[in-house]
Amino acid sequence: MDAAPRILLAKTALDGHWRGISVVARALRDGGFQVILGGMITGPEIVRAAVDEDVDLVGLNVGGHVEVAERIIAEIRSSRPDLPVFAGGVIAPWAAKRLKALGVEVYPPGSSLDDIVACARRLTGHEQASA
Amino acid sequence: MRLGRVSADGDDAMQRDDKAPPAFATRSGIPLKPSYGPDDVPADHRALAAALPGQPPYHRGCFPQGYRSKPWRIFQLSGFGKPEDENERIKFLLKNGETGFLMEHDRNTADHLYNVDHPDVVARREDVGMTGAVMQSVREVAICMDGLPIERTYGHAGGAVVQHAPFALAAYWTVAKRRGIDLRELGGTGQSDFFLTYLGCVTKQQVPTAAGLRLNADIIEFCGANLPKWVPVSIAGYNGGDTGLNAWQELGAVMANAIEYLDEVKRRGHMDMTAAAHRVGGVNFRTTMEIFEDAAKLRAARKMWHTLLRDRYGVTDERALKMRIHIVTSGAYMTYQQPFNNIVRGTLMALTAVLGGTQSLGVSGYDEAISIPSEHAHQMSVRIQQILEHETNIPAVTDPLGGSYYVEALTAELERRGWEFVDQVLAQGGFLATIDSGWLHARARENQHAQALAEMNGQLKIVGVTDFKDDITPFEVDGFPPVSDAYEVALERLNAVRRERHEAGAAEALRNLERTCRNTDNIMPAMMQALDAEVTLGEVGEVFRQAWGDWKTPELV
Repeated sequence: MDAAPRILLAKTALDGHWRGISVVARALRDGGFQVILGGMITGPEIVRAAVDEDVDLVGLNVGGHVEVAERIIAEIRSSRPDLPVFAGGVIAPWAAKRLKALGVEVYPPGSSLDDIVACARRLTGHEQASA
Repeated sequence: MRLGRVSADGDDAMQRDDKAPPAFATRSGIPLKPSYGPDDVPADHRALAAALPGQPPYHRGCFPQGYRSKPWRIFQLSGFGKPEDENERIKFLLKNGETGFLMEHDRNTADHLYNVDHPDVVARREDVGMTGAVMQSVREVAICMDGLPIERTYGHAGGAVVQHAPFALAAYWTVAKRRGIDLRELGGTGQSDFFLTYLGCVTKQQVPTAAGLRLNADIIEFCGANLPKWVPVSIAGYNGGDTGLNAWQELGAVMANAIEYLDEVKRRGHMDMTAAAHRVGGVNFRTTMEIFEDAAKLRAARKMWHTLLRDRYGVTDERALKMRIHIVTSGAYMTYQQPFNNIVRGTLMALTAVLGGTQSLGVSGYDEAISIPSEHAHQMSVRIQQILEHETNIPAVTDPLGGSYYVEALTAELERRGWEFVDQVLAQGGFLATIDSGWLHARARENQHAQALAEMNGQLKIVGVTDFKDDITPFEVDGFPPVSDAYEVALERLNAVRRERHEAGAAEALRNLERTCRNTDNIMPAMMQALDAEVTLGEVGEVFRQAWGDWKTPELV
């Protein structure tokens, strides 16, 4: 079996509420992922951490304006076009549409943790990983 | 939050157990019987049944006439964008019947004591003004307060985050003084809350807890001497609760936090403990959908406060033994899905607060899980309160739940478990120690994960989220759109202050602030001088960072 897939979770905003990311991180760990917490970091810092940590997937906790998330996604794709990204957090429906239009799956509050873990497995090609 | 790893051998995995029977218990784990009778109320608590509201130990309420003598204050969080945007929203709320107002400051700048040109803010410039107005100098605070009747309306100056509170308070008071208002007559509050700052919303940069305690003691003493009608700090159990602490942990942690403040004031020896107790006795909790437990929580809180002040500090003054409660209905219970259901949830949580005898109340917006409140959501939060006040007749009788076997049994049990939690916190070295070590975060985290597990297992149903997902509403709730020019305008205003202020005066005020940080004088006179000299937020932050460094954040996740 492959080594555990590695996921970087990062917060896009200078907003330190951590309950959401805590629950998601734990579910991903229990789902077989190696979870690396990036904290509140910028696009370039996310790219650097993704390379240093050799991650297979980036999860963005979007706590602010969607334009910040869009810029971060563009920065990731310009240097690591192969690295998949998905997003969660307090994202209004209109903002979620903008991220989905970029091909980014969005998990707003109330999303099922099972769905989030399944998405992470799909994006990293680990559909068969055991819980 | 810092770079880290979620360890494989940390807290237990969220085990799925589909066979677990549905337990009849409150969300904090108190087992529930099918019905309650006289024998379910502990004897020592039963003996208090004859105490009426206004009589110690005040579990039935602090005031004999309850809402007949004073309705609860309608007090909604508000703010976003530029200071003039926030000003407009506050005026809107006051026009709609709000009876106090709260000023929110921008999280990016205020919480971190950064000006908008700080690199960490510039990297996220579109976020600026998302959840509060940008106020980097007294000029911007004056714009936000323009035309607000502060001489006769209870105002919340902002400063929820500990390191920001001295700046926010000094700015508000400076504007008041410039209007010719005697600070001794000015009513209002700040917050400077440890639960928000160090537990619930952990900033990227923050002064260490010991410095935070010093700042809060300075504010308490300064208000004691200069602003007798001001509530200097507000311990906000809400922020512990929404992070994961359950009802009795919230109660116990609030008491442990108060012990930390009051012990410090006592140690410093500048202030009479009766006055200090009265100052610190304006406390914030949350109510959730756990209706009876949370109404009982308010009753237990008042009794615990009375006991704490009497037994630990020897306070005998009646006024100082009475806790005043502000409730915010839980934002964490508001759902993203089917948001109109949140109007019902807001109503029930507000009802709980009123049944528990709160002195002031904010109701989370029905769009809470989507954005900051739209005007309509804000108006609904006010209307919910007005309907409770004017249409239900509930305010006519104080402590309507008093004497219910069930509610009295819950009150006694919450108090018992609350004191046990206080003892646990004290055994860890006290409230600050549990924050520095991450012990309190771990308690919150256990409950976060237990709740997530209960939702996954189907033991906890949330309408519109885990079950009953069909939604036929013709109305889309798309949230309140962010203000697009908050960053640019704030940058212009920052540069204008730098250009136009009297530079020598600002420099001297900053040096004085720096000296004060390094000695034991009260920081507030120096902060008032700094605000008057148009010192900016980021400059205050630099002084704090130089003097005290950065809090070492414990492992959160």
